Amino acid sequence: MDSLTLILILPLVGALILFLSSKNYATLSIIHVIVSGITSLALLFNVYKVLVSGTFFSYDKFLFLDSLGAVFLVLIAITGFLVNLYSTIYMRWEFEEKHINLVDLRRYYGLCHVFIFTMTLSVICNNIAFMWAAIEATTLASVFLVAIHKDKKSTESGYKYIVLCSIGLAFALYATVLLYSVTFTTTQNSDTAMLWTTIMSSAKGLNENAMKLIFVFALIGFGTKAGLAPTHTWLPDVHAQGPAPISALLSGVLLKCAMLAILRYYAVTASATSFEFVQSIMLISGTITLFVAGIFLIRQHDVKRMFAYHSVVHMGVIAFALGIGGELGVFAAIFHCLAHSFTKALAFCSTGNIARIYGTKDMTKMGGMIKIAPVTTIMFAAAVCSLVGVPAFAIFVSEFLVFKGAIVTGQYFAVALFAIALAIIFIADFSHFNMASFGEPKGEVLHNKEMKFIENLPLILLCVLIIVFGVWHVDSFFTLVENGVKIIMGV
Amino acid sequence: MEMIDILAICMIVTSLAVFGLRNLKLSVGIYALQTMILVSIFTMLSVKFSAHQLGMWAVVAFFTKVVLVPTILFCLIKKLSVISEDEPVGGFFVSPVIAMGFSLAIAMSIYPIFLEFSLIKEKIVLIAAVTVFMMGVFGFMLRNSFIKQILAYCLFENGIHLTLALMAYNSHELVELGILTDAIFAVIIMSILAIRFYKAYDSLDTSKATNLRG
Repeated sequence: MDSLTLILILPLVGALILFLSSKNYATLSIIHVIVSGITSLALLFNVYKVLVSGTFFSYDKFLFLDSLGAVFLVLIAITGFLVNLYSTIYMRWEFEEKHINLVDLRRYYGLCHVFIFTMTLSVICNNIAFMWAAIEATTLASVFLVAIHKDKKSTESGYKYIVLCSIGLAFALYATVLLYSVTFTTTQNSDTAMLWTTIMSSAKGLNENAMKLIFVFALIGFGTKAGLAPTHTWLPDVHAQGPAPISALLSGVLLKCAMLAILRYYAVTASATSFEFVQSIMLISGTITLFVAGIFLIRQHDVKRMFAYHSVVHMGVIAFALGIGGELGVFAAIFHCLAHSFTKALAFCSTGNIARIYGTKDMTKMGGMIKIAPVTTIMFAAAVCSLVGVPAFAIFVSEFLVFKGAIVTGQYFAVALFAIALAIIFIADFSHFNMASFGEPKGEVLHNKEMKFIENLPLILLCVLIIVFGVWHVDSFFTLVENGVKIIMGV
Repeated sequence: MEMIDILAICMIVTSLAVFGLRNLKLSVGIYALQTMILVSIFTMLSVKFSAHQLGMWAVVAFFTKVVLVPTILFCLIKKLSVISEDEPVGGFFVSPVIAMGFSLAIAMSIYPIFLEFSLIKEKIVLIAAVTVFMMGVFGFMLRNSFIKQILAYCLFENGIHLTLALMAYNSHELVELGILTDAIFAVIIMSILAIRFYKAYDSLDTSKATNLRG
C-alpha cells in the first residue's frame, strides 16, 4: 500500500473502530487521540516525501501530492491533531455537564475522522471531479458535527450549512464539467483531461472565454464553501452553534481546502487567460469580503460569531492577496492559509475554555477573565493579536507581504483599502478583547479557576506555532510555499 | 423534432411540476418520472452516439435516482405525515413563473458556450439540462418547504447529470459513481435533518428558521 492510500485509509479505519467501540468515555477518547496521532504522522510523512523528492502520484495519477497540496496537508496534520486532542477535553466537559451522552460522543469522534478523511481526499485528488466530490463530502461529513445538539438553533445551523454549501458547490460542479470538456477539446485524451496535472500543463491552449466562465463558476462554488462574501452567510451561524473544536476544524482546515480548489482554478485560468483577469476578480471578491465581514464583526458580542466573522475576513485577506498577485501576493495567500489555520484553531479552542468559565458566549456578560484564568486569557490575547496582524505573530508575516506586494506593484489604492479594513478589524477586536478580559465579571462565573495545564496544552502548542511561524523562517515549510507559488505562477 | 428533444422538453416541464405542485407526494412522483426520462435520454444518447458508458450510467441512475431517492423521500413524507408544502416566497403561482422565466433566460444565455465544448452537441437537451439545474437553484431560494428544498437539490443534480452526460460522458466511470454517491448521501442527510427540523419547529417551513440571524 502506498503512502497516499494510507492517509485515506487510516482515518476511515479509525472512524470504523470508534463507531464499533464500547460506549466508554476513556476508551473512546484514547482511541480518538491515537488514531489522530497516527493519521497526522502519516500525513507529515507524505509532506516529507514531497520535500525530498517532489510531486508524486498514486492510482494511475488519480491521487497526487505536490508542494501546494503538501502545505494543506500540514494544516490537516497539525491543526487536525491538536484540535482533536482538545476535543477530548472539551467533550469531557460537555459530557460531565450532560449536554451530550456517550452515543453522541462516539458518533462525534467517529465523524471527526470521516471529516479528516474527506478533507485529506480533497487535497490529494488529482482528478477534478473527485476533488469536487470530496469537498462536497466534507459538508456531508461535518453537518452532524455542527448540529450535534438537537435543539432549534443547532438544527437551523445544520440546515443552513448543508443548503448553502450544496447550492454553492453545484456551481463548482458545473465549473468542473466545463473544465473537463474544455481540456478534452484541446488534449483529445479522456483519460487525462480530468487530471489537474494535465490541465495545468495544457492550460495555455485552453479556450480563454470558457476559462473565464469556469473561473467565475468555481469562485461562486468553492467561494461559498470558503466563506467569501456575499455567500458567507452560513459561516457565522455554523461556527456559533458547533462545538468549539469543530469550529476550529471548520475554520482552521476546511475553509482552506476550498481555498486550495480556488487556488488551482486561479492557476489554470491565469495560465489560460491572463493574471490580470484572475487578479481583478479576486481583488473585487477579497475587498467585498473584507468590508462586509469587517462591518458585521464590529457589532458581534458573541465570541464565537466574532471569530466566525474573522474567518470570513481572513478568507477575504487570502482572496485579496491573490488579487494583488505576483510572487509576493501568492506567497502571502498560501502562507496566510497556514497562519490563519493555527490562529483560528487557537481562537476557537480558547472559546471552549471561555464558555466553560462563563457558561455563555456573550462577551457583554464576561469580564475579569485575566484574574480567573490568566493562561486562557493569554491564549485568547495571542489569538486576537495574531488575527489583527500584530508583529511576531504568524498572520503579521502574510499581511506584511500583502502590503509589500501591493506597494512593489504600485497598487496604492488597493493598499489603502486593505489598511482601512485591517484598522476596522483591529478596533473591533481589541474592544471585544478588553470587554471579556478586564474589569469585573458582569455575569455569572461557572468555573472560577484556570483549566489544568494538560487541558490547556493544545492551546499552548498552537500559540507556540503561531509565534514560531511569526518569528522564524521555517525553512522546510517556506520551501513548500515557494514551490507552491511556482506551481501557481506556472514557472 | 426528434424523440430525444421531446424528452428534453419533458424534463423542463416536469421540473416546473416538481417545483410548482403543492402536493408533496405528487411532487416526488413527478421527480421520479423526470428521472425516468433522464434514464431514457441516457439510453437514447448511448445508442445514437455509441456512447456505451451512458448505458451503464442509465442503469446506475435507474436504481439510485428512480428507485432509491424517491423511496427515501416517500418514507420521509410518510414519517412526518405532511401533505402539502408551506406557502413559498412570492406565493404559489408567482414563484414558478419567476423560476421558469429566469431559468430559461439563463439557460439560453449560457448554452452556446457549453455547446461549443460539448461532446454530444444536442442543443435542446443542453438547454434542458441548464434549465433543470437552475429550477433547482431557484427551488432552494423560492420554496420554503424543507422537502421541496430536498427536491430542488435533486432537480439540480438531474440537471448536472444531464450536462455531464453531454459534456463528459467519456470521463472515468468512477467520476459518475463519486458524484452519484455524494448525491445519495446528501439526500439521506437532508432527510434526517428535515425530521429533526420538524421536531424542533413543528413544521417544515424553513422561513421559521430565524434564530441565528445577524
